[in-house]
Amino acid sequence: MNIHVVAILVSISIFLLVVDLVRRRRLTFKYAMGWLIVSAGAIFFAVFYRLLFACAALLGFELPSNFIFFALFCVFVFLSLLLTVFLCQQNSRNDVMAQKIALLEFEIKELKKKFNGLR
Amino acid sequence: MNNFNQKILIIVPAFNECGNIGRTVQEIRGSALSVDVLVIDDGSIDNTAKEALQAGGQVVSLPFNLGIGAAVQTGFQYAQIYQYDIAVQIDGDGQHDVSFLGKIIEPILQDEADMVVGSRFLEKTEGFQSSFSRRVGINFFVHLINVLTGVKINDPTSGFRAYNKKMITLFSAYYPQDFPEPEAIVVSQQAGARIIEVSVLMRAREAGESSIRYFKTMYYMVKVTLAILLHMIRQKRTKI
Repeated sequence: MNIHVVAILVSISIFLLVVDLVRRRRLTFKYAMGWLIVSAGAIFFAVFYRLLFACAALLGFELPSNFIFFALFCVFVFLSLLLTVFLCQQNSRNDVMAQKIALLEFEIKELKKKFNGLR
Repeated sequence: MNNFNQKILIIVPAFNECGNIGRTVQEIRGSALSVDVLVIDDGSIDNTAKEALQAGGQVVSLPFNLGIGAAVQTGFQYAQIYQYDIAVQIDGDGQHDVSFLGKIIEPILQDEADMVVGSRFLEKTEGFQSSFSRRVGINFFVHLINVLTGVKINDPTSGFRAYNKKMITLFSAYYPQDFPEPEAIVVSQQAGARIIEVSVLMRAREAGESSIRYFKTMYYMVKVTLAILLHMIRQKRTKI
């Protein structure tokens, strides 16, 4: 099979997989956006691969494959940084909630004590 | 309440301190000062909370272990909710000598400082001065914080501290989580707080010095340095 056909098929299936994950509510739109954009870009370049070669030459890459690896590497670094930011945000929200729960639990216990004292 | 009509809260963060915490709470309650004791049980899996309650402390139990920074911050939030004027932080392991409570609170009562750090190294004392490698690390932070903020604190890792109401408000909203003791000094200085040190004695917590501890100290130094440097470039600084 032609390598271009393989590239197109793989990028389309990634795109469809993301769409399906959103459809089955395993991914929310907010987090699916990044993946949709990346996989749409992959489909585009798999179809118009000559454009990809031109880009590689323009940027001074001797082999188009090197350009693809470099681009992929950049995308993954960016995505993982983004994920770390989300993780960090979740972590601090989690802490705030734990603190609130602990303080509320204390308050409830105190109220119960007062209530039982009144009865 | 005390002579100055100030409500004082002693915050004791504790993680699996069963066997120590009861004694610490009793010691604080037995001191001449009229204070409330709040133990923050940081997700302990032993009987820390029960022991603290039996000793007569108030206990707030975090649902899981959040780390010392978030535990102490919970104490500040409590102090904020129940309108305390002064908060004192004391370790739950009995390392801090509660007979110095009065001394550490005094500058706050006199309105000479917003934050008071109990220091082992201010005067040459008989008490526990920490192991050699730790002292090298501590000395490094003394100079780092001094160069970056202009404040000279001789014992920046000491967790024996007193704060006034302004600091309670500041820290209940934001308190450093990673290495809270040295970082809190930087945050306070950036907020425009008046920070002073008083000399205290501390007891030894653990004996011996292994090579593993040596590397741990080095690793800790690198991490804290990075954390402090990141604080220096942080946006959204709150003034007290």
